[in-house]
Amino acid sequence: MNRAVDPRDLAMDGDGLAKGEVLLEVKNVSLRFGGVKAITDISFDIRKGEIRAIIGPNGAGKTSMLNVINGFYTPQEGTITFRGEERKKIAPYQAAASGIARTFQNVALFKGMTTLDNIMAGRTLAMHRNFLWQLLYFGPALNEEIANRRKVEEIIDFLEIQHIRKVPVGRLPYGLQKRVELGRALAAQPSLLLLDEPMAGMNLEEKEDMSRFILDVNSQFGTTIALIEHDMGVVMDISDRVVVLDYGRKIGDGTPDEVKANQDVIDAYLGVSHQDEGEG
Amino acid sequence: MLYQIFVDPFAQMVSMPDFLIQVIWEGFVAGILYALIALGFVLIFKASGVFNFAQGIMVVFAGLTLVGLHEAGVPAFLALILAIGVMALLAIAVERFVMRPLVNQPEIILLMSTIGMTYFLIGFGEFVFGGEPKQMITEELGLPTGSSAFEIGEQGLVILQHIDIAAAVIAIIMVASLALFFNKTRIGRALRAVADDHQAAQSVGISLNQIWAIVWFAAGIVALATGIMWGARSDVSFALEIVALKALPVLILGGFTSIPGAIVGGLIIGIGEKIGEIYWGPLVGGGIESWLAYMIALVFLLFRPQGLFGERIIERV
Repeated sequence: MNRAVDPRDLAMDGDGLAKGEVLLEVKNVSLRFGGVKAITDISFDIRKGEIRAIIGPNGAGKTSMLNVINGFYTPQEGTITFRGEERKKIAPYQAAASGIARTFQNVALFKGMTTLDNIMAGRTLAMHRNFLWQLLYFGPALNEEIANRRKVEEIIDFLEIQHIRKVPVGRLPYGLQKRVELGRALAAQPSLLLLDEPMAGMNLEEKEDMSRFILDVNSQFGTTIALIEHDMGVVMDISDRVVVLDYGRKIGDGTPDEVKANQDVIDAYLGVSHQDEGEG
Repeated sequence: MLYQIFVDPFAQMVSMPDFLIQVIWEGFVAGILYALIALGFVLIFKASGVFNFAQGIMVVFAGLTLVGLHEAGVPAFLALILAIGVMALLAIAVERFVMRPLVNQPEIILLMSTIGMTYFLIGFGEFVFGGEPKQMITEELGLPTGSSAFEIGEQGLVILQHIDIAAAVIAIIMVASLALFFNKTRIGRALRAVADDHQAAQSVGISLNQIWAIVWFAAGIVALATGIMWGARSDVSFALEIVALKALPVLILGGFTSIPGAIVGGLIIGIGEKIGEIYWGPLVGGGIESWLAYMIALVFLLFRPQGLFGERIIERV
């Protein structure tokens, strides 16, 4: 394994929280689209340094939940507290600025750009020289570019994707695209990393690689991770705590073992017979 | 007939090389101006996927603002700075009142909105500056006038207008700096990121509103430069808006997403149509300059729909 990266280099900037303290708290959140209830009265928390899985059958509201956390959706009710501060309605780029990075269910990379440029784009927030400096390009803006490029190369090393550095990501196989997307999210050095089905559509080997990267990110950089995943084997293996949604409601919350034993969760996944509903 | 099409024009070219060079130079200069207009289109298309129908009128509007301010008694250089300021205001207004309310709408809606903007700017421009053509303040801006003649061979003579040379130099500088800006800086990367995927761009901390304002401002500056250069050759008038449509074949040739492509496409169209007009035009009674460009573009569409330098159309199925 390539371990040339110094973990401290990529660790997120200090958010003043000790491991185990509540990093993000979702409280009584409800989200509706017109008459459709996507999320109903959900509360849970994410603690610093943990890997928190959000699971549930299709349409349970998992992705909606992530979209609420990173600002794509604004819930009608409830509050979200991040780093001890209650959040007002925010735009996604502000959520990113506050330290939340994410990946998407159906890979949302900048397809025409190279792997390197994609990950550099992830460092947008770390670069501050304004429009006019950028126009000049030389001097401070160039130094900044070089410093950030170094960080990006570290991430590329870490994810073992040196060989595709200059390839436009649209040409890469799906598994690698997912990895580049993880790299772009990591480039922001987030304090909370949201992963929406990071292993969807992968083969076994790719899944194992991705699991390893997720665990390494968590242990080496201390990044808190919330992930949605359908592969129960993976979820139970890598996560510290699991929250289970079904039809927009929370039906279970706890360690993998607790969740596995929860009758509501078993019913939601295996189906339960409703004999009084008649045939049909 | 075959002789007239395939042999005679080339015989003429060889027999009068100085005239050929003059024709190519004229085409080159026209090409530079097409390229500058196309550049404005490319900027906005790259960053927002919107085909900005209003680029042509932005050229006119920028030129009129500059000349209008000078006529009102503002010194030339101050007028230039103020005109840049006006383009910045226009960019912010477009972002706030056109782009932002229409975010996530289909591209055809955005195209329609730029057509609407075109007519708004025509009306607004005529209201403020009047409808008559105006003289560009070339000398006041310190741009060179006059011309130099070069002797070619025995008694050949090629005449170069200084303003044309200045136009070429300015265009080259603009293109080089824009290409660098797009490829090597954070904001350039953010512009391309927004073009590829709005959601993903927001999730890495890019503000769409800010990017759109910047890109419309950049297109406004390009429009101002175009307005000055084109105005110096003819007048600043609303007729320029039609000429701007010549940017379409240029874009098809060069690719909608490529800055160098806009330049090369502009030159090919500019030189191609001049040579076509002079040497082959008489065969069909002249006037082919106005449609030859579109013919070239059509042929290109058949064989290379992404243009010469456009990003490869990558689609996984």
